[in-house]
Parts: sequence; structure tokens; C-alpha cells
Amino acid sequence: MSGSKFVVIDGNEVEFREGETILHAARRLGIEIPTLCHDDRLEPAGACRICLVEVEGSRLMQPACAFRTAPGMVVRTNTTRVDRNRQFIISLHLADTVADRDEAEDVSRSKLHDYAAQYGISEGDWPHVESPREGRADDENPFIAFRPDRCIVCAACVRYCDEVEGVSAITLANRGGRTTIATADLRSLDHTTCEMCGGCIAVCPTGAMTEKPALFYGKPERELERVRSTCNFCGVGCQIDINVDREANRIVKVTSPPPGTTVNDGNLCVKGRFANDFVHHPDRLTVPLVREVDGQLREASWDEALDRAVRGLQSVRETHGSDSLAFISSSRCTGEENYLIQKLARAGFGTQNIHQCAAT
Amino acid sequence: MEPKGARRESILDLLHDAGGLRPGAVGKVHLESKVPEADIYGVATFYHLLADTTTDVFVCDGLTCRIAGCGSTMKELEARGEKARFVSCVGRCDAAPATWDRRGRPETLSPAYSPSSDQHAIDLAARDDQRYDALGLARDKGGPWVISEMDASGIQGRGGAGFPAAVKWKGVIAQPVKERYVVLNADEGEPGTFKDREVMLRRPHLVIEGLAIAAFAVEAQEIYLYVRGEFGAAKASLIGALDEARARGDVDDRVRWHFVDGHGAYICGEETALLEALEGRRGMPRMKPPFPVESGFRGKPTLIQNVETLACVPAILKNGGAWFRTLGRTAPGSKLYCMSGHVARPGVYEAPLGITMRELLDLAGGAVGTLKAFSPGGASSGFLPASKLDVAMDFRALAVEGSMLGSAGVVVLDDTVDMVEASLAQAVFFEQESCGQCSPCRIGTQLIRQTLDRYLTSGRDPKTLEIIPEVSWGMSEASICGLGLAAALPVKSAMTWFPEEFGID
Repeated sequence: MSGSKFVVIDGNEVEFREGETILHAARRLGIEIPTLCHDDRLEPAGACRICLVEVEGSRLMQPACAFRTAPGMVVRTNTTRVDRNRQFIISLHLADTVADRDEAEDVSRSKLHDYAAQYGISEGDWPHVESPREGRADDENPFIAFRPDRCIVCAACVRYCDEVEGVSAITLANRGGRTTIATADLRSLDHTTCEMCGGCIAVCPTGAMTEKPALFYGKPERELERVRSTCNFCGVGCQIDINVDREANRIVKVTSPPPGTTVNDGNLCVKGRFANDFVHHPDRLTVPLVREVDGQLREASWDEALDRAVRGLQSVRETHGSDSLAFISSSRCTGEENYLIQKLARAGFGTQNIHQCAAT
Repeated sequence: MEPKGARRESILDLLHDAGGLRPGAVGKVHLESKVPEADIYGVATFYHLLADTTTDVFVCDGLTCRIAGCGSTMKELEARGEKARFVSCVGRCDAAPATWDRRGRPETLSPAYSPSSDQHAIDLAARDDQRYDALGLARDKGGPWVISEMDASGIQGRGGAGFPAAVKWKGVIAQPVKERYVVLNADEGEPGTFKDREVMLRRPHLVIEGLAIAAFAVEAQEIYLYVRGEFGAAKASLIGALDEARARGDVDDRVRWHFVDGHGAYICGEETALLEALEGRRGMPRMKPPFPVESGFRGKPTLIQNVETLACVPAILKNGGAWFRTLGRTAPGSKLYCMSGHVARPGVYEAPLGITMRELLDLAGGAVGTLKAFSPGGASSGFLPASKLDVAMDFRALAVEGSMLGSAGVVVLDDTVDMVEASLAQAVFFEQESCGQCSPCRIGTQLIRQTLDRYLTSGRDPKTLEIIPEVSWGMSEASICGLGLAAALPVKSAMTWFPEEFGID
């Protein structure tokens, strides 16, 4: 087939593209190849071996996530050998982690168990492997939990922390069956370079990395309702999925939409992912308050509160002049909101004293 | 992600200088190298000579040393109050039960080896040639001539895979990239193997000359010599030979030479894991392609060869590739065979490639006791029964038998050896030395070891072994590198040839 401009996958031709992997070429044909350690934002690692496919001319099967196509290449993803390997890899990982689905998915979802169900692998077929993976039980950081018994050591978290965030707070440590995810000297994450973005949680295929607050809440993610929203901590417009416990009417956690689907490409920062406990906090203000002459605050309507603010600002201007006023907007404001507040300062109150806290 | 200018390649040396992974070492190395602290910790914990800062004496519990009674050695050491622990190999099966003392006791030479012969390409017993005639010939006749002689010799890499060496040399010279490297793989660590150690100790000039010729032929500017950490005397021997060659002007400064220490990780004998170690990373094998000839050290074309392979080069050039080819019986060249276990004179024997096991046993003074089985090429080659004594000990014939020549580390077992225990010894080795990168090897090696343990503790219930065939199938199909691909072979071959010992028929 030399001179061909096509790659053949399971008998279907797809146009060859320079540098494309088998996984991506197969996707264009609608052929699904399972992956555990792969994420499109990361360099392929080829570590979990569930994506192995047959490539004509190659004695060993090759990882679809990493193996680049070539013109005329013939690939098979639907053979008994490929299928047997998928079953082997799933069985291995179940033996090495938490095999029981309900237990494994006590809070997070597990892609491994999705595949186990899809490929008809029942838990406990193989004896449990006593894997001596070290955790960090004393890690005092408030947001990110690592549960080594669920870890398949695919290192997606380590690679994400390095390649996407450029933070390198975590690493693969030790060797062989003792290989685990660690920090330098096993310190708490908050004593490392970690910025608590929680991307390690988002890329984890088994829930070994999970949100501590959700772990304490203890309800399985699959029983929560996902509500798509826009993060309002800054003007970027990251899309977030708010995971809601409808019965209790509570926000349990925020997850990031899959990479490639929204402007933030599956990424979030510490605020977007974790700063949501104010929502249900008893001290949270839910209605405007105005201060009475006796100094006490009382609830008021928006109209009344805004009128009070306007009168106060006008009175300062009349007494001390326009430039005695200054307007500072929050970095949580969007561009449009920042435009409006400078308009208010300049046109409404006649002052150039306008600042935005993210400007410095 | 490390900042620009970070000294990644230096961190293993810096960790070594800091005394290994002691409190404060990570921070100190971070300040000196600018590599992220987590990465430094990850690298340090990979190499057991860096991660373990307390042990003084490492006691080998490889198969040969188990046979020789390494348990008693450990008890004696403990009784003396030594800080000792078991490790899977220290590279001296000829002195089993073997130990390695980190405080610097010199390595001993093998007690027996082949007498000198003109039919030996290396000839361990000969006086180490210091004339560098072959290098002179290479310079006179040019790189293409060197490579054509290598091609004519048909030499297969002596590290274990048996890959034709000339294909690598031709591959590197064909690259458009001019920044090129030659790397000496002296990370010998396959249990049963100790030939490279002997070559470095007895014939270091052959290795230095072979390297100089290789760098000349593939037009490399730098040579890296990666020597197993436990081989301090071998490294000193190479350094001494290089200094002599320099002093006499045989080797000039057009090529830069660098010595790099291993720090305790069998997997770094795998060539791409070795490259990762050279670059200051965890020694996890790379996915191939690309192969090192195209993208090796620092992503540049790199020729990596085993000690024995390079030591053959001077003889190949002096006597011609065709001569070397005739030294072998079923495949080109003479070969160093390491004999250990139940054999009268353990040692390194040079013999024609393709010699039979029966003849090899004679060279080493015969088996001690009644021969039952042998492991022809290190732990990775599994076991063959005594009935296979007449199989040619070459790369192809042993592959046909479902085994491999590998590094030619021959372990001889007599009829007192329990094949289940022998399989367990190899399983323990692979479990300890798996890098942990890919799941078939990382989990499979544990599953096999735990299954054999379960078999023994269950009063040898054959039902406990039911998963072995599927696990060994998967490991041999899906692992990234040769370690995982071969790791199930010992138990699989033992079950094939000695089913009665596993309660199956």
C-alpha cells in the first residue's frame, strides 16, 4: 500500500494526517478505543496498556494513544487478541485496586469500572493483589485527597501537574509494585508548590485523587445532579459543573467539563474548583442590609439599599467634591461590568478615580 | 516542569554526593539543580542505592545465591551487627553466596576462566592489549570500512537481545543530525551474569579501544560510560585504561569521555531506561519507536552497546569480520558464558556461539550433583530441563525452545532444587526490579509472586495456580519492555517442563 494516503482501521479507510496517533485517527472513524492513562492535553504515556491494538507488520501490539499512523498502515482494533488484552488489563487493575464498584465509586466516578461493566468483567475474578502503595495519611491540605488503594499509577495526575500547570508538585515515587504518587519527602500538598487547582482530580480515571470536602460529604457522584454554570470568580468565563445533591439542596462539589468542550479545556483554578463553601455558610448575606441610626443592621429591599448608597455617594460629592470619591471594582467583574463601573465613576460622578483590583 | 537552565542531568550525582535520600537532601539538590523538588524525590526513590541510606552490606538473594545459602550469610552478618539487607543481584554469582559492601571492599576476580586461545575474540586470560592497533587501522581505513567489517562479522549485541550490532552503527551514521553519542552499557545486572565485570577488570583496554573505534565510525563527539554502581573496581579499571591510552596518545581529546555511575536499578540495563538515567530521570524505559539510533541521549542519535560487544570490536578489525564469523558454530563469533549454580568451577568461559550446554558443563568441570534443569541466559530466560543439554546455546536455537540466550548467564540446578522455589526466586527478582511504569509488569510481577506464595502456603493446592497462564500471556503481550515481556517465563517454563512439581499433569 505504499503511496497510499490512507490509514486502514478495521477495514475502514481514513485519510492519513502527519503526526496523528492511531487513537485520533480511529476517533475520526467513530471507532472507540478504551484509554485510562490518556488525556488529550498530555503527552501520551502508553502506560496502562488498555489501548493496545494490532498494527500489521508489528509483532507486538502497539499503544493507540502513542503510536503514530503512517500512510498505508493497517490497524485492527476488533480482534480477539486485542479484546483479550483489554480484559486482561481491566482484570489486573481490578485485582490491584478496589474491585467492588459501589465501594470504588463511594464518592467519585471510575472509568475503570465503566470499562469493567462494558467488557463484562466481574469483580473478584482474580485474587486481590496486596499492593504496598504509600499514601500521605497526614496530608493536611484542605482540598485534595489521595487514596492509594484506588490508584492505577497511570501518572496522569503527575503529568498534568507538570505539563499543563507547570507546577510539578507531585511525582511518581518508588519502584515496581511500590510505585505511588508522592510529594517531595511526602510533605502535605500545602507545603509544596501545589496551587490546589485540582487538575489531578479531574484527570484521575479512578477517583484515587478526589475532593476532600466531597469525601467528607460522602455521597456518590453518580447520585448527584450536574448543573453547568459559569465560574464568577473572574472574567475568564470558565465553565464549571456544579454537582448538586437535590435531596439536601446542597452543592457538593464543582467539577470541570471534559477537555476540548469548553473555553477552559477542562482546567480550573483553586477558586473555581474549591471556593464554594460560602454558598451554604450560615454567615452568608442573602438579602441587602442597611444600618439604622442606632448602628444596627436590618434587612432591606434592593431598591431601598441602592437608594441609600446613591444618597451617601451624592452627599460625599456635594460636601467634598467629585475627586473625594474613588471606585474600585472586583476582579470577579467581567469586562462589561468593568466598563459600567468606569462609566458610573466618570459620567455619573465626574471622577477619574477608578481602579480594578486585578490591574496591579 | 523545570525552569530553563536547570541541571537535570546532574541530580543523580548530586543526590549521591548528598549521601542519598537523607533529610534535607531533596532541598539541597533542588537549590543546586533548580529541578523541582518532587521530581528529585521521585528520582531518588527509584534507585535503591540512593533511597536506602542505612544499609552497608547488600546480600544477594538471586537464584544462584539462594542455592548457595544466602540465608546463612545474612544470619552471620546480622550476628556481627552489620547493617545488611537482601537485594536481588550484586553481579557476582561466581562467588555465591555473594555480598556487596558499600563501604568499598574491592570486587574479586572470577576464580576460573578459559585458557588463552586465538579462537577467542576477547580472550580474558590474555595480557590486556595496549597497542590500540585496531584503532589505528580504523583511522587509516576510515569509518565506512569499520562498519563494513562490523557488518561482515555478523556480531549480535551481547547485552541480551542479540540485535545485529552493525544495524545500529549503520543507523546512527545515516542520521542527518551531527550531534551524536556513543554509550557503553555496563549496567550488567541479569541474575546469573558477571561477564562484563570480568571484561572490565581483565581487559579494560579492549573496552576503551572498542568505544574509541565506535565513536570514530559513527562520528560521535561524546562517549558516556554507564557503569553499574556496585562495580567500583571495574569502573576504576576502565578509568585507569583510559588514562594510559591518553598518556600514550592512543586516545586524543577530539572525543569527550564521561563516566556515569548506576545507583541500583536492574532496569537501567534496558537501553532506553539507561538513557533516562543519564538524563537524570527515573529509569523507566521509553516507548519505541523512535529507537536510540534516531533519538537517544538528549534526543540525538545514539549508539548504545554492551561491554562485551564493544570488547569484540578490536579483534574484528584486526582479524577481519569474516574471521570473527568463523569463531562461532551456529551463529557468528565466540561468546562469554557465565557458569554458576551447581557447577564445579563457576566462572566465565569463552566458547563458540552455539556450543551445547553439555560441552559448557564440561568446560566448567561438570555439574555438581545430578543435573535437573538449567537457566540458559539469566532470570529472563526461564528454565530448560536436563533433556535439553544438546541444544545449541545461541540466540535462535534457544528462542525456538521458548527460552533465550539473553546475557548467557547460565545457572545450573541439580535435583535438590525445588522448581517452585526456583520460580519464586525469579519472581521475587522481577517484582523487585520492575520499574512500575506499565501495568502488565507492575501488577503482573506482584500477582505471580503472590500466587506462588499462596501455592506454597496452601499446601500446594494447584487451584491457586489457575490464573498463571492468563497473567503470563498478558505480560508477554502487553508490557512495554523486555523485563515485563520475559518476567513470567520462569514460572511458565517451570510449569511446562516440571508439571509434577506444580501438582499438574
